[in-house]
Amino acid sequence: MLGIVALSLIALCIFGAGLMAVRSGNLVHSVLWLAVALASTSAMYLVVGATFLSAVQIILYTGGVITLMLFGVMLTDRNETTKIGNPSGRRALGAITALAMFGLIVAAVSQTDFLGGGGTLVDTQALGRALLTDHLLAFEALSMLLLAAMLAAIVVARRRDP
Amino acid sequence: MIPVNGEVLQLLLILGAGLFALGLYGVLTRKNTIGLLIGLELMANAVNLNLVAFGRYHGGTDGQVFTLFTIALTVAEVAVGLALVILLHRSRRSTDLDAAADLHG
Amino acid sequence: MTHDLLALLALLSPLVAAVVLFIIAPLRVRGAVSAALTIGATSVSLVASVLLAAARMFGATAPNVDLQLAWLPGGAQTLATVGVYVDPVAAPMMVVVALVALCVQVYSVGYLGHEPSRDRGRYFAYHALFAFSMLGLVMAPNLLQLFVCWELVGLASYLLIGYYWTKPSAGQAALKAFWVTKFADMGLMLGLMVLYVKTGGFDWNVPVGQALMTADAETIAGLFFLAVVGKSAQFPMHIWLPDAMEGPTPVSALLHAATMVAAGVYLIVRAYPIFMLAPTVLTVMVYLGAFTALFAAVVAVFQDDIKKVLAFSTCSQLGYMVAALGTGSMVSGYFHLTTHAFFKALLFLTAGSLIHAVHSNSLHDMGGLWAKMKPTGILLIIGSLALAGFPMTAGFFSKDLILEELLHAGHYLPLGAAILAAGLTAFYMTRVVMLSLFGAPSEAAEHAHESPAVMLAPMVLLAVLALAGGLLHGDFARMAGVEAAFHVTPVGVVATLVGFSGIGLGLWRFSPGRRTAIGTQWVSAPMRLLTWLTASKPVDVFFAGFYRQAMLRAAAGIAWFDRYIIDALINLSGWAVLRGAERFRELQTGQPTDYVYAVVGGLIVLTAMGVFTA
Repeated sequence: MLGIVALSLIALCIFGAGLMAVRSGNLVHSVLWLAVALASTSAMYLVVGATFLSAVQIILYTGGVITLMLFGVMLTDRNETTKIGNPSGRRALGAITALAMFGLIVAAVSQTDFLGGGGTLVDTQALGRALLTDHLLAFEALSMLLLAAMLAAIVVARRRDP
Repeated sequence: MIPVNGEVLQLLLILGAGLFALGLYGVLTRKNTIGLLIGLELMANAVNLNLVAFGRYHGGTDGQVFTLFTIALTVAEVAVGLALVILLHRSRRSTDLDAAADLHG
Repeated sequence: MTHDLLALLALLSPLVAAVVLFIIAPLRVRGAVSAALTIGATSVSLVASVLLAAARMFGATAPNVDLQLAWLPGGAQTLATVGVYVDPVAAPMMVVVALVALCVQVYSVGYLGHEPSRDRGRYFAYHALFAFSMLGLVMAPNLLQLFVCWELVGLASYLLIGYYWTKPSAGQAALKAFWVTKFADMGLMLGLMVLYVKTGGFDWNVPVGQALMTADAETIAGLFFLAVVGKSAQFPMHIWLPDAMEGPTPVSALLHAATMVAAGVYLIVRAYPIFMLAPTVLTVMVYLGAFTALFAAVVAVFQDDIKKVLAFSTCSQLGYMVAALGTGSMVSGYFHLTTHAFFKALLFLTAGSLIHAVHSNSLHDMGGLWAKMKPTGILLIIGSLALAGFPMTAGFFSKDLILEELLHAGHYLPLGAAILAAGLTAFYMTRVVMLSLFGAPSEAAEHAHESPAVMLAPMVLLAVLALAGGLLHGDFARMAGVEAAFHVTPVGVVATLVGFSGIGLGLWRFSPGRRTAIGTQWVSAPMRLLTWLTASKPVDVFFAGFYRQAMLRAAAGIAWFDRYIIDALINLSGWAVLRGAERFRELQTGQPTDYVYAVVGGLIVLTAMGVFTA
């Protein structure tokens, strides 16, 4: 019961932070609200027993992505990018679309009967073993992808004129 | 730490749906490119949340391994996306999406 | 087996010569090389043909050569075959074609000796093409190959008539010949289509058990006969033949007297099983043939141009053949074709010799040539006698056979016309002989000189055949499975007497003492009208008018339809696509958000389908 309460609280945190992230008029605030949402998700992982993922979420997202985004915001023109507004018409259409999507997914979830469940807990050791045995090829391919993305980012963002 | 049974799974899935809808709203309404990326991150996070929830519901390592991969992919996407934003800003002096409407027919 | 090789050799050696000459220009521009190659190839064909024919005539009965290759594979079966087919019908025609072709080619070496080497090379290349096409026509194993070769000889004819291409009249004559015969050839093509639809093949021997309905046979034979009328210059499509005399005289001898125009008659001979099923067409053939024989003979009397006399004479003789075939007697028509090939080729070659001597086609410019050119004169007289049906010459036997068949078949009106035409034939040939050889020499004839041996030798060979060819009549009869021996009959006597009177009348009218006025000028005003009428002018006018009024109008109508209806539809569709594209490109706003909406819209639809159909 305590678990459910904790879960609901964290869920509220995630949802609220997400809402602020997409609604905020200041881009820097928006990014920071995103960080809160991602960190809350990390806490959620912890609650449901995915401890390793929780750590990864903190390191990669809140450490990597958020920093990257802040750099992005700072590198581009601050005066223009930090103050962002949305035309009301587009907001309404976007809200309707998003709500429709939400409603459909919820309908799909509620139509389905989830019986049983509660699979065994997976510790980090088992996860690491799986990652480096069964999924080794995908793991290595992913490393290549990250390298490629890094190079691509450098090449794309590089200043052409010295 | 709580076991993920049917009820918890449903709760998590609905949370994921809400997060996904929020992200979609951000993507659809933001005129700023970085704002759009923030929306995308929220959507990806919703997907990750679903994966973890199902992984714990069914047991086994696959769900979490998959989530690791998607997180890595998202990071790569953000890196390239931000590089594109900087490029756009450099060439157009703007990070407004309307500035990138070169594909207009 | 040997005979297979011989047949292939006969057919393919002219083809090789033609292909080599057409492709390798350095050989072609050397007239002597081209002539040697063509004459060599034709000689090979002649030897092979003689060997093949000797084994099938004079009582010998070698099996038919039948070598066929699949052609036009279509689905499960072969549409048609090509190959060589030599039976007792084809063999004599092969000999005639190869022999006359060889004579004419040798003669041409002398006749065209003054032409530029390059032109002579071209000329002999055409001749090689013609020899191949004509032999392919004769040896065709089915009517489809015959048709292909039929068109090829038409092409060769066109090229050779237009040999003097710098002369506008020659070009026009070539075109006229081409279009008139081409129009007629449509009959052959349509006939072949009907034949294929009705029997599933192109064989002239309709398979047993698949007997053609009489109506179908009438249709096919009628369409074939249309082609014959064009190719063999029967009234009213004879108009191209006199004009075709624009070509060099040896060409006239080979194509437009001996072989190509006879292809029409040969087609009837080949397709005789079909024609025999079509009594109406046969009757039409008798009457049209006899009419052409008489009509052309009348016209020939009024011609001043020696080649035109012979051209109309050819029309007339082809009319005999067609009429003979119409009576149901294949032998008589085919036999006359053979003998006519010999003596008409001879006549044309002698005429060429005279023309060569005086450099003019007109009988006015000849006269008194007997003194200068005795050998040619003798040869011309031999040819004329054979054509006039003088007793014991080749023409006598074959013409007599035709008249008898007309009598047997009970066609008395055509018989009368044919006998009258025989008399006229004797008369106009006597006129030619008298005007060209005797009397006071004209200015041009003063400087005439005898032709070289290379021209005389082929003529002598043809003259021998023109005299002795009649002796073959027994063999021709046997070929068709009937025994026939020549015997004197009343109709033969009458015809001979009519012929003699024609000769006598000619001798009297054109004797040297009386030839104060010659040619068409000897006729009075009403006769001039007759001349105009008979010189096929009205037919020409009719055809030209038909072409201008009907064909050109129709073509213009079709062109209008094509330009304003078909093209308009195409342009309209193009315009619609362009305008539509201009509208649709608005869909591409370039706004990333719109694309996201598109993706999400699709996602929503798919999810909704999943949710609401579950």
